[in-house]
Amino acid sequence: MSILATKETHVVIQGGVAGVNAARRMGEFRHMIQQPLNVSAFVYPPDAGKTNEIVCGNRLLTIPVYKTVAEATANHPEINTSLVYIGADRAYAGTKEALDNSGIQVVSMITEGLPEKDSKLLGAYARKLGKVFNGPSSIGVLSAGECRLGVIGGAFDNLVACKLYRPGSFGVITKSGGLSNEIIWICSQFADGVTTAIGIGGDAYPGTDYVTYLEMFENDPQTKAVVVVGEMGGDLEERAAEWYGAKKRRIRLLAVVSGFCQESLPKGMKFGHAGAKEGLQGEGSARAKSEALKKAGAMVPETFGALGPAIKQTYEELVKSGEVTPIPELSEAEKPKLPRTVEQGMKDGDILVAPLIKSTISDDRGDEPLYEGYPASELINKGYDIPHIIGLLWDKRLVSKQEAEIIRRIIILSADHGPCVSGALTTIIGACAGTGLSQAVAAGLIMIGPRFGGAVTDAGRYFSHAIANNMSVDEFLGYMKKNVGPVPGIGHRVKSLRNPDKRVKELVGYVKSLDLATPHLDFALEVEKITAAKKDNLILNVDGTMAAVLVDLGFPVDSLNGFFVLSRTIGLIGHWADQKRQGSRLIRLFNYLVNYAAPARREVPPLK
Amino acid sequence: MAKVLEGPGMGLLRKWGLQTPNYAVVGSSEELEQLAQANDWLTKSSLVVKAHEALGSRFKLGLVKVGLDLKEAKAAAKEMLGRTVGTLTIREVIVSEAVDHSEEYYVAVKSTRDGADVMVANCGGVEVESNWDRVKRCPVVVGDTPTDKALEALAKEAGFTGDLVPQVADFARKLFLCFDNEDAQYLEINPVVRNAAGELVALDAVTLLDGDAKFRHPDWTFPFAAEFGRAYTTNEEEVMAVDSKVKGSVKLIEIPGGDTAMLPAGGGASVYYSDAVVARGGKLANYAEYSGDPPDWAVEVLTDKVCSLPGIKNIIVGGAIANFTDVKKTFGGIINAFRKAKTEGKLDGVRIWVRRGGPNEKQGLAAMTALKDEGFDIEVFDRRTPLTDIVDMALAKK
Repeated sequence: MSILATKETHVVIQGGVAGVNAARRMGEFRHMIQQPLNVSAFVYPPDAGKTNEIVCGNRLLTIPVYKTVAEATANHPEINTSLVYIGADRAYAGTKEALDNSGIQVVSMITEGLPEKDSKLLGAYARKLGKVFNGPSSIGVLSAGECRLGVIGGAFDNLVACKLYRPGSFGVITKSGGLSNEIIWICSQFADGVTTAIGIGGDAYPGTDYVTYLEMFENDPQTKAVVVVGEMGGDLEERAAEWYGAKKRRIRLLAVVSGFCQESLPKGMKFGHAGAKEGLQGEGSARAKSEALKKAGAMVPETFGALGPAIKQTYEELVKSGEVTPIPELSEAEKPKLPRTVEQGMKDGDILVAPLIKSTISDDRGDEPLYEGYPASELINKGYDIPHIIGLLWDKRLVSKQEAEIIRRIIILSADHGPCVSGALTTIIGACAGTGLSQAVAAGLIMIGPRFGGAVTDAGRYFSHAIANNMSVDEFLGYMKKNVGPVPGIGHRVKSLRNPDKRVKELVGYVKSLDLATPHLDFALEVEKITAAKKDNLILNVDGTMAAVLVDLGFPVDSLNGFFVLSRTIGLIGHWADQKRQGSRLIRLFNYLVNYAAPARREVPPLK
Repeated sequence: MAKVLEGPGMGLLRKWGLQTPNYAVVGSSEELEQLAQANDWLTKSSLVVKAHEALGSRFKLGLVKVGLDLKEAKAAAKEMLGRTVGTLTIREVIVSEAVDHSEEYYVAVKSTRDGADVMVANCGGVEVESNWDRVKRCPVVVGDTPTDKALEALAKEAGFTGDLVPQVADFARKLFLCFDNEDAQYLEINPVVRNAAGELVALDAVTLLDGDAKFRHPDWTFPFAAEFGRAYTTNEEEVMAVDSKVKGSVKLIEIPGGDTAMLPAGGGASVYYSDAVVARGGKLANYAEYSGDPPDWAVEVLTDKVCSLPGIKNIIVGGAIANFTDVKKTFGGIINAFRKAKTEGKLDGVRIWVRRGGPNEKQGLAAMTALKDEGFDIEVFDRRTPLTDIVDMALAKK
């Protein structure tokens, strides 16, 4: 048995992220006691219609989110309790909504900083309806072995350490969340543990008071004694004393009150919870409260530290009188455990997972990326540049200074080629149509293919083939004619022998000025001599030049198109940004630029 | 609870139709001169000048001057402004019109569990403080407003007669409206006086508002003042600034002259730790508290301030078993600040005592224990050591 939160409690949580976290904690508790999750629904208008994922044991449950409490209870008629995790400025309305719902009997609020007036109004409203409004600022309610409302009790290990998987004999009522957990721990170490622990919240005027719950505990046969942790300020402790002293009670009462330090503090200095404020005439002092409780027959240790021994003494008396039978302890093996996650299992070294992918170039698991094992910051600090990173990630090697310089020049030469070429034009059309950077740039990149910038790989492939097979230029051209067709990397739409491509000249001139063996480039230039003699625009183009040079540097053939893609991306981003900056409007082709060669208008024949 | 200084307090009373003397809050005697060009009362009436700061016993400090003409008022303002009292510099004075009167009364509204008490006495000033039994109460349930009949009965019960009965009832009604609509927790007008025209005037007011309700009072443009009769210190203000920005909370109150520094977690446990220090005959150097899983940097700022307290011998890093405050993370913030304080020599001869439980307690406590290797004088205990035993140990070793 227990009070307030029981086996029959079914919960709706009003609120967002904090409420979801609470539900997860509640899921852990339910797993511990081997019961299904008792959170039926969430109410959080911004997420209405969605679901929240809550782990309970080794299962991932989907719990629906509704816009209103009424919708939640209509769909889940078992709901009888609401937990409020709403910000202070909206908590009043949310709580009222829950109290107005006929199915809901208990509302517990964790929200801190609720205006005092709102708290009083909600408390009075709940009392009028015969319901319970617990809080604000309540850490929650926990009934051992039955139900947890909120995060009270803390982490799973603590729940087990405090033996919360089964009921003990002690009730706990505190204002402070941290101390509720402390008392739960003390009761589990010095006695047989708790029945129900309740945080009523540290505000000046909580919705319920000690008496509300003392009455309930008095009627709960499982609870033999109740520990109350009080604070200076207000009169809740005095009222508890009055209740306890009014007649012979079944439950034993233990209490401590904080705030004795007040007596020796500079005048007017007060601290602690919002409710910990002494009254005008010294009413509500820790001393007055302790005296009142003592007078009413409660056991009131002088300090918090003496509470443990007092609980122990009470427990021993209860055992001696036969009111309590000691509960056998569970062995380590019998104690509940949380299912382990894969991560934890791997950390502990007893789970093997077959990887889904393998990566041989980079590693992101440390505090910075490693490229082929080299930390990015160290590469920067030692003077390495973008061409070296290309070398590492595309070819798994650190290229030389000379190679890096060639790559740098290739990038500069191919970064852009004006707005008219297929890639840039497509990106510009995309930008004018309002698409985003990555969409418009990707559209431009899609244009890279056999006729535009995408011949680098193929050119490299065939030049390599020729060199590897010791072909003469004639043999090569014969092979290409027979097996492939036009030679990739040869030919240009507008450039020709008389109108040479300056980029090719520049790159060839530079590479040839170096002390570097360039068999592929030499071969390509020989090929050009023959082809250009046949037709003057069959020159070695920029794709073919890049291909020959990069193959000479030893880059794998499959990576070659990447140099053009990478370089031209710089230009495409520029074109997108350029159009965006200008606020360009949607463009379309003028119909006079189209040769409409489709059949003229004619009658549609009847459908057969 | 948030205390409001006289100026804005008077403003709220006027908003709800209560009469107050004319007043002006100024930051310089020149401002007063300028106001006098437009406000007759400043040249025609007898004036009162008071320091407009959160200070107790202003009278004793010479920060209240009465019966002044404008010239004297300017001189008084000039003299008070810029004066320092403890850590506080007087930046504003309130100049108000003296009200001739013979009778003084008392009217207040106080928050209670069920709603509020309207309190009335037919004596005021210091007299009411020694005659508390003459204060009569009318309880009002939350959500209700007191009827004129009930308030008139209250005035009669307090000993008012004749015309004064409806006048006092009306005054109390308006004060209640102010209380109820302004989310006040305590409004006390002492004294209420009757001016030459026979009207009731609120001469001096204590205004405590519910700081938590600020979100629905966009017209609360005034700052809240410290409640304990002194201004907040720079360190306190800095911690408050952090507190207002973060999830969870960090709090600091400095207590001059103490040697036991407090750095406990939790609004409940922190007071038990303070109690334990006092019970052991120790002297608190501060009150501090962090709770609600605040970010590590916020706890670091708080720790930095606590380590900077002068003359401390022990630091009590106490705490109960947390529900959701991450011990490892919050201790991380504390450790960062400890290391900094140590290099600055602030922890020379200071012993640190730790007791804590909660999420990630093992890692958090291990990190604290590891500080021993860095030369810290630190003792670390886990949940098996009762809450306040570290205080007993710290103070026993003196």
